[in-house]
Amino acid sequence: MKEILKRLSLAFGPSGCEDAVKEAIKKEIDAFLPKAKDVTEDQMGNLIIHIGGNGPKLMISAHMDEVGFMVTGITKGGALKFGTVGGIDPLCLGAKRVVSESGVKGAIKAKPIHLLSKEERGQAPKIKNLLIDIGANSKKEAEALTFVGDYFTFDSDYIEYGEGLIKCKALDDRLGCAIMCQLIKDIYENNIVPCYDLYFAFTTREEIGYSGAYGASMRVRPEYAVIIESKAVADIEGVSEDKEVCRLGDGVIISFADRGTIYDRDFVRHIKSLADKNEIKNQTNRYISGGNDSMHIQKNAEGAKVSTLSCASRYIHSQSDVIHVDDFYATYKTVLEIIKSEAPVKE
Amino acid sequence: MEKIKSILNSLVGGFSVSGHEIYGKEAIEGLASGIFDEIKVDNLGTMLLIKRSGKVGAKKLLIDAHYDTVGMMIKQIKKNGFLSFTSVGGLDTGILPSTEVVIHGKEDVYGIITSTPPHLKSGAQKSPKMDELYIDTGYSKEKLEELLSVGDPISYKNEIEYINGDYVISAGLDDKACLCAVIDAVSRMDKESLAFDIYVTASAQEETGKCGAARVSFDIEPDLAVVTDVNFARDEDDDSFECIVPGGGASIDVSAVTNRRATKNIMKHLTKEGIDYQVVCEPSSTSTNADFVSISTSGVPTVLMSIPLKSMHTPSEIVNLRDIKSLSDILLSISYGGDIL
Repeated sequence: MKEILKRLSLAFGPSGCEDAVKEAIKKEIDAFLPKAKDVTEDQMGNLIIHIGGNGPKLMISAHMDEVGFMVTGITKGGALKFGTVGGIDPLCLGAKRVVSESGVKGAIKAKPIHLLSKEERGQAPKIKNLLIDIGANSKKEAEALTFVGDYFTFDSDYIEYGEGLIKCKALDDRLGCAIMCQLIKDIYENNIVPCYDLYFAFTTREEIGYSGAYGASMRVRPEYAVIIESKAVADIEGVSEDKEVCRLGDGVIISFADRGTIYDRDFVRHIKSLADKNEIKNQTNRYISGGNDSMHIQKNAEGAKVSTLSCASRYIHSQSDVIHVDDFYATYKTVLEIIKSEAPVKE
Repeated sequence: MEKIKSILNSLVGGFSVSGHEIYGKEAIEGLASGIFDEIKVDNLGTMLLIKRSGKVGAKKLLIDAHYDTVGMMIKQIKKNGFLSFTSVGGLDTGILPSTEVVIHGKEDVYGIITSTPPHLKSGAQKSPKMDELYIDTGYSKEKLEELLSVGDPISYKNEIEYINGDYVISAGLDDKACLCAVIDAVSRMDKESLAFDIYVTASAQEETGKCGAARVSFDIEPDLAVVTDVNFARDEDDDSFECIVPGGGASIDVSAVTNRRATKNIMKHLTKEGIDYQVVCEPSSTSTNADFVSISTSGVPTVLMSIPLKSMHTPSEIVNLRDIKSLSDILLSISYGGDIL
């Protein structure tokens, strides 16, 4: 499953430009697609796979898009003005390597420390003042390599480091996509009959807030939805424990609420008890922060009972997205147990 | 350009944070063997590479390029695998969060500089202070204490990339781009035509006090010194500072520090030979080794030459390969220039 994660994370797919990721996903599950009840690619670019099974409708989703950059202008000197696609901390931008959809490489220029004025020192750079350098000497040279409206992403490797940590760009949310690919494989290879009428939705445009997942939810109209995500945490030196949110390595995060969603109490309890019963390490968030597709998914026509299962992630939305491999597997195992177990019974 | 790329790849591959240049020595030795007659390393870590002309009483030309790079150093090993660190040379903390690094301990350890997530930020965005940043290694404190020690050097994790034909992106091009030009030039020098004995210093500790080159100059007592270092590339989109155009060739820097007569003679020589160069002015000090080489021994006629570089002291410094080639051509021509002194 780590290999799938690596392949998917390295695929190019900022919000609104997810096709390469979708192709990479289809490649992973190629052999199983003909076995699905239905495979839909909708107008939003979502890839929805209807597996079927016995029980209420459950949609498991993960978003395919990552944060990135869009070229908004080209200067006379041949450098690229850009805006971010999704939220990126300007402190994570200076001197970072980037690559365009067509493979043009460059770096975000950083003013040398020697030339920073007294006012500039100590201030975070402003994104509107930052430029991508692609080695073009003039606007004309740059126009041969790129265009206004072109996309860039961080150019960053997949690296396993320390004791069980994984770093790459776009682990948010290719980890969710990788887990879903593995689950589809498991279902067909091990003849698992889901205890739900099961759908998998690989969705678009989560990072910009105008979520493709909403469209998927309106189409599928699930009673239950599980969103597999990565969650920004701060279990780092210099941050007090109450603001850490969660810790890497402490297991799958079963959230009760975040800034976008109050999760369904019964469904969350059901999932927590499944994880406990199967001795899967789990934790919950100790700080209310962030939000994800669940806030849109829950608002389908009938409304859905949602739960988010996430991997704790450090330095999210940077070139160095970091997760713990144990959390990745714990998240996968928990979702697998949900599929294999009867839906919670209404009291 | 292929030869220049291959020299540059070797130089950039050797890690050489100021004070720890010695670790990168093999890269230089590999490149220098067969090109130079003699290789020495002094107590500060400066490498002296000599190519003799074979002429009795030949004048001595010192060509300097510093080999050290900016980097960091471990201050403390904290709990949960985090390290606190200090900069070696001038670093802007505004670009450090999420930057990847390599810590050179008993073995090389990968790490990431921490970045604070959005839920902990409010108000105007400030750059972090150096002591608010840590390096995340992913190891336990116990394991780290086996692998690393306080004081171990840290360099940017680096990939060298060639973009749009002529440009290269890499950490450490300050000043390995110049050292590359120097080695390329010497590799092309024909012994018979040399007007000087050539003393090349791949000098240590420029970024932290410029002590390497000047010290070796005392041993050599050169008749002429050419210091080569990178300079700020002109930004076509920002005319707030006067500087040299990337891709426009190497520059000769005019300064009160450097020797006016030698500088003029070199300009005259290059014009006669039909070799182009840019000119840039550093009115008082140059903030390069030239400041100290010029006052070494009883004074050395010193000339400063530069290559334009973008994003100095970052993991993504950018240089135009044609400027490296240009500096190499200039140095080659000077080494044959009996008319310069």
